[in-house]
Amino acid sequence: MITFSFDGKSYTAREGDTLAAALLRNGVGLVGRSFKYHRPRGIMTAGVEEPNALVTIGEGGRTEPNTRATDVFVYEGLVAKSQNRWPNLSFDVGSVLGLAAPALSAGFYYKTFFGSAKKWMFYEYFIRKAAGLGNAPTQTDPDRFSQRAAFCDLLVIGAGPAGMQAAVEAAEVGKRVILVEQDNILAPSLLRDPQAQDAAWIKATAERIRAAGGRILTRTTASGYWEHDLVTLTQRIAEPGQIPPHNVAQCLWHVRAGHVILATGSIERPMAFAHNDRPGVMLSQAVRTYVQRFGVVPGKRAVIATNNDDAYKTAQALKDAGAHIVAIIDARPAPAGAGSGFRVYNNAVPLSTKGARHCLKSVTALVDDKTVSWDADLMAVSGGFTPVVHLHMQAGGTLDWNEHAQAFVPAASRQNVTTIGGAADPQAIFKMVPVSSPKKSFIDFQNDVTLADVDLAWAEGYRSVEHLKRYTTLGMATDQGKLSNMAALGRLAEKQGVAIPEAGLTTFRPPYTPVTMGLIAGAGAKDAGAHIRRLALYDLHAAKNPIWQPLGYWFRPRAYPTGGETLAQAALREAKAVRNNVGMTDVSTLAKFEISGPDAAAFLEIICATTVSKLAVGRGRYTFMLREDGVVFDDGTVWRLDENRYLLTSSTGGADRMATHISYVRQVLCPQMRVSAVNVQEHYAGIAVAGPKAKSVLATLIGEEPPRHMSTVPASIAGVPVIILAASYSGERAFEIYVDASQAEAVWAACETQVNEVGGALYGLEAMEFLRIEKGHLVVGGEVDGRMTPHDLALDKMLNKAGGYVGASGLARPALAETRRRQLVGLEAIEGDIPEGAMLVTQEGASPVGHVSAAAFRIIEGGSVALGQLTDGFARHGEELIATSPTRGQKARVRVVVPHFYDAAGERYRD
Amino acid sequence: MTKLSISMLPAAPLHAFEIWGNPAAVGKRFKAACGFALPALGRSDGTAALRLIRFEPTVWLVEGDASPLASILSDDGAVTAIGGGIVRIRLSGNNWRTVLMEGGVFDAESPTFAAGCSAATIIDHVNVRLHVVDETTCDAYVPLSFSQGLLHFWTQAADALAG
Amino acid sequence: MMQFTCPHCGPRAQAEFVYERTVDSVVALDAPPEDAMRTLFTRNNPRGVDDEIWRHTYGCRAWMVITRHRVTNEISAIRAVGPEALT
Repeated sequence: MITFSFDGKSYTAREGDTLAAALLRNGVGLVGRSFKYHRPRGIMTAGVEEPNALVTIGEGGRTEPNTRATDVFVYEGLVAKSQNRWPNLSFDVGSVLGLAAPALSAGFYYKTFFGSAKKWMFYEYFIRKAAGLGNAPTQTDPDRFSQRAAFCDLLVIGAGPAGMQAAVEAAEVGKRVILVEQDNILAPSLLRDPQAQDAAWIKATAERIRAAGGRILTRTTASGYWEHDLVTLTQRIAEPGQIPPHNVAQCLWHVRAGHVILATGSIERPMAFAHNDRPGVMLSQAVRTYVQRFGVVPGKRAVIATNNDDAYKTAQALKDAGAHIVAIIDARPAPAGAGSGFRVYNNAVPLSTKGARHCLKSVTALVDDKTVSWDADLMAVSGGFTPVVHLHMQAGGTLDWNEHAQAFVPAASRQNVTTIGGAADPQAIFKMVPVSSPKKSFIDFQNDVTLADVDLAWAEGYRSVEHLKRYTTLGMATDQGKLSNMAALGRLAEKQGVAIPEAGLTTFRPPYTPVTMGLIAGAGAKDAGAHIRRLALYDLHAAKNPIWQPLGYWFRPRAYPTGGETLAQAALREAKAVRNNVGMTDVSTLAKFEISGPDAAAFLEIICATTVSKLAVGRGRYTFMLREDGVVFDDGTVWRLDENRYLLTSSTGGADRMATHISYVRQVLCPQMRVSAVNVQEHYAGIAVAGPKAKSVLATLIGEEPPRHMSTVPASIAGVPVIILAASYSGERAFEIYVDASQAEAVWAACETQVNEVGGALYGLEAMEFLRIEKGHLVVGGEVDGRMTPHDLALDKMLNKAGGYVGASGLARPALAETRRRQLVGLEAIEGDIPEGAMLVTQEGASPVGHVSAAAFRIIEGGSVALGQLTDGFARHGEELIATSPTRGQKARVRVVVPHFYDAAGERYRD
Repeated sequence: MTKLSISMLPAAPLHAFEIWGNPAAVGKRFKAACGFALPALGRSDGTAALRLIRFEPTVWLVEGDASPLASILSDDGAVTAIGGGIVRIRLSGNNWRTVLMEGGVFDAESPTFAAGCSAATIIDHVNVRLHVVDETTCDAYVPLSFSQGLLHFWTQAADALAG
Repeated sequence: MMQFTCPHCGPRAQAEFVYERTVDSVVALDAPPEDAMRTLFTRNNPRGVDDEIWRHTYGCRAWMVITRHRVTNEISAIRAVGPEALT
């Protein structure tokens, strides 16, 4: 015996029970309140199509709302709660809404939205309180969700007799086979109508599949059929709310199949009649499942309503289990059930039910135009069978209309998918037209949509089935119309005066059953959602406990505070060390490419908008790259390491884009070139050493005269080979040291020792930003914002006059040479601190003429300075403007100046 | 099922061997000098001293002593050091294939992905290169910056699968 | 997620590939400005078959032209792009 609780009360269940079976076993008939009208609802089905019995399972972070009681297997300690009721299930204030049902009829929301705002405000409070399903959990899910790929020749969805047979046949001829079943046992439909030989056949067939190398996944739902025969499977490793083994609660499988067989069976349909939503009204096959599979008899006095033969099996099963069959209401005119031994009424359709809150009391039917009533506590309904065609349709299939079954069956598909079994060939039924009052004749139980709502939508002009769906909310929420769509379609077709196939169909979208958000996120549900890129020197930085800054997927030190410094204090100290003494920083994340071959220079002159071929061996230069439309998209430096070997650096943030661009030019535009372009971003760790004492520090480290500004030499530090590039971003004499990342720690340590020796400091991204703004250097993503041309950035004098680079044609467009473009300027505060991101205006209230792209201050002298983009900026040096950020309530008076606040002549680069 | 062992191999020099022209002539020179042919795409060849794994149409990953390769290429290609940016993670045990399906999109469970085969793919959003050493060993070549993350991801996956 | 048969690697998941552009929007390096801009900004966008350039970025890194039907995702042809001596 298993103990579980429902709404705080403890119950016992049998091994293998679904929660629904266990509740019925304990005589719990009322399990939920309906979505709109809060009508009392019970268990209606025995499968994933259950519209009523939605419960919240589990506690804390493992809470799973809107779980179908028919789709959770009871385990020891399971905690379930009913939903959408207040203060409790039996007495629910919201159910008074049911009395005001006309107010919430089809299109209620639309009408209210289009009415006066006041009206909506009035309703909103009540609607928010009353409507809705379960509540989302507020705590973090402690479990993990796994995502796996699988490949097979044949994927069989649905382990009924047809599916198992298909799987075993394919597996035994050597195919890779995966068989999935959403239930926790194989061939559950056989347990509904058990035969003596079934158990042995199921066991033997499963063993044969496994022995032939096939994989069988139970408790696994094929949730989506995507392009090129990719099927996603959601596998429950633990039941909802249950503590899973190894912390993995569910697995999302991505299965790429050569061929897919859908053996998904069909779903029984309810019938539309008044008060057909009462607890005690159940689908016929569901009743049989509870009786035969779970050993639970949901009622003592049963009325069966049917339009087909299948329901007679239910009558027999109930009778065998000791229940009394009061009547079988059979819509068929002929005495099809004659000789069954039951009291059968032909030409009979249900009209209405009566009952108390928790149970059914009586059933009324129309028999040959006469009204007949029976006392009953159970009504088993079979309105026919709807093949489960969801996956077939998601695969881009079409449907045929099967007149005998009054159902859509799979027709052609553009993917490799075949439907077999009951889903392809549903049972014949007798076509019925609802005769009962449409007002309480529910067709969508989950969304409280009645036939009257469909009629109203029609009366108000909604003709398309897609509009009908949106207007009435029919077919939405967890069951996605599994029970309701055919009834609605039938009614719509009747209104249109056409056959059902002509009335159209709504789109079948994945997932087939609800999927936990965490499962879609997978491993990304935790932490940052993606792997963090760690620097080669991560451990050395971490030991200094820096403030980290995310930069794309990278984490880089923003500052290294000591002795209780704030970020601003630390960054200022670090920047001053660079200006006055020497500082060092990690620049490993810069994009780096090694370009080799006889055509290397020619290749680089296509990538870069500057000349490259004139560089002597051992020299480097600043460069920038254009998009095809002539706009600057990245910048960096290019170095000639050897006769036919260059190193190109570019921005960290643009590294992947640059790698793609270089590959595109190499492979697509210039396949004939004799060149190799290798991404060495991660191969080389980079250390920048900058400041007045950088040269002497370098000299000590490499034991020779360091290269002059914009020169490069190979050298050795701490016995490790390095490349020294004399380049500066800070505005000071500076060097970048590139070293094989696996040996970078020794080089960093040697540098740090020397820097400390002369009283220097480590510096992070914040200080680097201060330094480069003061110097007027660009940053990609800041000043280089995807709108600026080389002219706008005052880089045009560096353009390769010979052209031939990517973007040369685009740049030649006359419009780009026109005035009135935004141009790069410096801004110096006259009064106040310049807010970053502020707009530039000539006077309060005027339209902006530009914006501030980066703001900092003079590191030694103090005073707010910034870089910005200003319309006709080059011609406006000396003009006074206002930099204003109204959203932050900050502003400053600024003067437009040349964008160099520090050593504009570059004196400090010279030795 | 024996538990999978997942570990980082020590840093080693790795090179990109790229050909831009005359592939037949380079192939001939290579075989004459090294004693084995340049492997086809998706394959590896060589010994512990020098192994080439081909992940790209024009580029081979070189493991071991690359010093003779520049002269073999002559003017038809280039050798570039890339080892600093790549961490080799070795998965050894019977179920390395099962672990590689976690967060993956490549069919590592295919029986045709056997010893001497190589493939570049994406696993848990990280670009990863795989080389099947033997039936119970697969080496993954992963970007340095993602290596700790992937090691953790695979260790966690292996623990869950072992149970 | 689609599946493409890479000319070098065989069938692989779309997650390994990155779309670049259509073949008719490749701007030749020597295109005169007017042609270049027409190629970039005035393009067909057929509801049907088109030739697209994709890169097997997280696989063999090679480029290819994939002829794809944009409604049904049917792939009718895939051909390699790049240094022809080696493909």
